[in-house]
Amino acid sequence: MSDQVCRECHRIVTGQTCPICGSSNLSSDWSGMVVIVDAERSAIAKKMGIDIPDKYALKVR
Amino acid sequence: MSDESTSNEFAIFVVKTTANQERSVANTMAQIARKEHFDIRAILVPDELKGYILVEAPDSGIVDLAIQNVAHARTVVKGQSSLEEVSHFLTPKPTVTGITEGAIIEVISGPFKGEKARVKRVDESHEEITVELFDAVIPIPITIRGDTVRVLKKEEKNA
Repeated sequence: MSDQVCRECHRIVTGQTCPICGSSNLSSDWSGMVVIVDAERSAIAKKMGIDIPDKYALKVR
Repeated sequence: MSDESTSNEFAIFVVKTTANQERSVANTMAQIARKEHFDIRAILVPDELKGYILVEAPDSGIVDLAIQNVAHARTVVKGQSSLEEVSHFLTPKPTVTGITEGAIIEVISGPFKGEKARVKRVDESHEEITVELFDAVIPIPITIRGDTVRVLKKEEKNA
């Protein structure tokens, strides 16, 4: 099964709910990905308002 | 393009990958960066860039080291980019941007592939458009995704 994305926080999740925001509002229709390794020092993470290192989708439908 | 930056600064480096393996390369690189404590801060995989990924790191040497044992990662492209140059990838535009009511489109995928139609309504929030097929005997409005069409002619008055 393909990965799903949390519609609230755009995090790519493997289960049925988002482990961080607890939402079960997931979508399998997403595109683009950003992997944040060092959220504190990453300028991309800062620009996107991300403070937890993880995998995120750029666009979720 | 500027010279290599110091450790407090960063740049965006482009890594060439095998086509359609961008996500797996990014995942593997992130794992290696965490394991080996390479100073890689983020990896960007925009769908628009086939065969390339963008890596945020202080210098290209780190990126070079990180891709050494990564399958499907080829080379680090010479030179570097800035955040301003790649920031448009972070906020992708809705797929219906550029499609207006009255435009003539061609459906490029799905059961109506190859059919020409006129746009009746554009739903930007759902990225859907409602069209009426030219070849249909009775004009029935159908709603399709904005990324399954190609614009042939922009905004034309009803004949």
